[in-house]
Amino acid sequence: MLQVKDVVKSFNSGDRTIKPVNGVSFSLEQGTFAAILGKSGSGKSTLLSLLGALDKATSGDVIVDDVNISTLPDRKLTAYRRDDIGFVFQSYNLIPNLSAKENVMLPMEFAGVSHGERSKRAAELLNQVELTEEMHGRLANRLSGGMQQRVAIARALANNPKLILADEPTGNLDDETGELIIALLRQLAHGKKTTILVVTHDHALAAQTDRKFRLARGQITEA
Amino acid sequence: MGVVSRSVGNAFRNKVRSGAVVVILAVAIGLALAMLVANQAVGAKVDSLKASVGNNLTVNPAGSRGGLGGGNPLTTADATKAAAVAHVTGVNGTLTVRLANAATASTSGSAGGPADRGGAAGRFGSSGTTSLVSAVQPGVLGQRNNGTGSTGSPTGGTAGGTTQPTFTIPIQATGVSSPTTAAGTALKLTGGAQLSDFAANSTQALVGSTLAAKNSLKVGSTFTVQTRTMKVTGIFDAGDAFDNNGIYLPLAATQTLVDQAGQLSSLNVVVDSIENVAATQAALTTALGASNVDVTAGSNNLQSAITSLGTVQNISLIAFIASLVTAGLIVLLIMIMVVRERRREIGVLKAIGASNRTIGVQFTLEALVLVVLGTVVGAVVAAFSSNPIVSALVAGNTGSTVSAAGPVRGGGFGGGGFGGGGFTRTRGAFAGASQLIGTISTSVGWQTLVLGAVGILAIAAIGALIPALLTARVRPIEVLRGE
Repeated sequence: MLQVKDVVKSFNSGDRTIKPVNGVSFSLEQGTFAAILGKSGSGKSTLLSLLGALDKATSGDVIVDDVNISTLPDRKLTAYRRDDIGFVFQSYNLIPNLSAKENVMLPMEFAGVSHGERSKRAAELLNQVELTEEMHGRLANRLSGGMQQRVAIARALANNPKLILADEPTGNLDDETGELIIALLRQLAHGKKTTILVVTHDHALAAQTDRKFRLARGQITEA
Repeated sequence: MGVVSRSVGNAFRNKVRSGAVVVILAVAIGLALAMLVANQAVGAKVDSLKASVGNNLTVNPAGSRGGLGGGNPLTTADATKAAAVAHVTGVNGTLTVRLANAATASTSGSAGGPADRGGAAGRFGSSGTTSLVSAVQPGVLGQRNNGTGSTGSPTGGTAGGTTQPTFTIPIQATGVSSPTTAAGTALKLTGGAQLSDFAANSTQALVGSTLAAKNSLKVGSTFTVQTRTMKVTGIFDAGDAFDNNGIYLPLAATQTLVDQAGQLSSLNVVVDSIENVAATQAALTTALGASNVDVTAGSNNLQSAITSLGTVQNISLIAFIASLVTAGLIVLLIMIMVVRERRREIGVLKAIGASNRTIGVQFTLEALVLVVLGTVVGAVVAAFSSNPIVSALVAGNTGSTVSAAGPVRGGGFGGGGFGGGGFTRTRGAFAGASQLIGTISTSVGWQTLVLGAVGILAIAAIGALIPALLTARVRPIEVLRGE
């Protein structure tokens, strides 16, 4: 489902060339729940942004369902981010003046789903991440961190993506909420056959994934 | 929630800032609309001047202007000759005479003979008598130097030991052959109806408002001219006390009453187009005799008035564009600020699948919400400020006070009394540009609003689109990384 082939990301800092991702290759089957472990600054988030088409690789190929996203034009990358990818950010990145439900409805609006249908599906997704109905209409900036992360996961699922990329999804959460999120992601991978790749330095989370990779100095190895 | 409702909500995320932006925009947009209104009002005035004065020529007996004497009176034969001149489309002859109060004339015993349009004058230069009492008092200036150089008083005085008779201002009667003034414009009636019977035995009369008030006349009241009893068909308002101290009578009746059959004071000649005015002026002078008549064109003053108004139009146009650009810059700067503040949000929107177009539309709609509110408030500002702005612009560039409403008139008499001869005021010929401009009225019509709003919204859309699209073009990670 996902093939990463010799991906390099480099940039210049003064007279030095830095390569946070340096020849990374791996592949994941559909429905795999995988984790990339590494220390801070090891290039985990950079790799995730390349897979999620938030950034462009300097070289190498990222192939999702036989489509090489490294060569896609901007317009098709927008469609890829909208239809094929669900991104969960460490800091949630919800739109603060929209309600939880409106945040979940946003990707569906961009996909052209009718208002009635996206309202219904957003409610279902929020229920699925165990956010009570009374919280659906609450503004995102008035929700707790755990609730915001659940809304972010619901938003990532809005358009039924093939691949969910999660950047430190439990990094800002207490243990109990973190476990709830991990269980939710596992259920998505195994129940709905959604491929999930999380980057984390949380070994408890990594222990519950199907496959674990370690990223160090820009290079990846499977643990 | 769609992009429209989201944009409306976003526009008021920061209520204090949005309120301040709306106020600033309202001032700029209000000024832009006021300038647009001024531009259109002045443009309409130019068209109106060209239509009403531009094609008119005034023919007077040679030297009669200014009340300093003149040659032979014009006749209906002159009117016929004038009508035959090329490019002339209409000739309107008038006879203006002065009527002394019958009671005063009998006591002074020295009412002068026919003296209109110059020539030998009697003491008061009147052509006949009327039962009406003048509503205008001559005052000190009117009594001064009345024949001897001494200063009298309204009730009589002495000069060199000789008792002077009490001076009263005669009443001006204008004979017309159609319901118009000598300048060819319709009289503004405050009551009653225009003249309709123009026969020699007609008894219809229009009376000026101050004269009517002085003599307690209403529509249907009667008064006498010479021996004929005239009936008031209408009360007119010519714009000032002096003009409103006059009466309008049918031309033929006037000629009969003052025994000036076939005589005219002036001719108002209408030319087919403003381009032919100069040639027709020369042709009329030739046809009627250069030593017999003076032919004057309102277009000299018109040109001056149009030039002055053209300056005002240019100023208002430049100010409109400047205000529009200012409004656009305000929107641009505000949106640059808003977009910079919300770079992270734009990155998130892109990360979850928003296209550049969607982001551009959202931010443009946000700006338009503020601009629409600014336009509504600005329209109110424009409604209240456009008249004073036009007044200031016109007064500053023409020396005219736009509130000086009233008919165009010539000069022709000084402040030192009337004893020397006729003082018939010839209309049109000596009118200054500022008098010609008169009143300019402004109105904020829906067309003006639509035109202004479309311009403002277009500028606002550009001002909002530029920063939004510039930010939307960047890769999501570039705006997310910096947070």
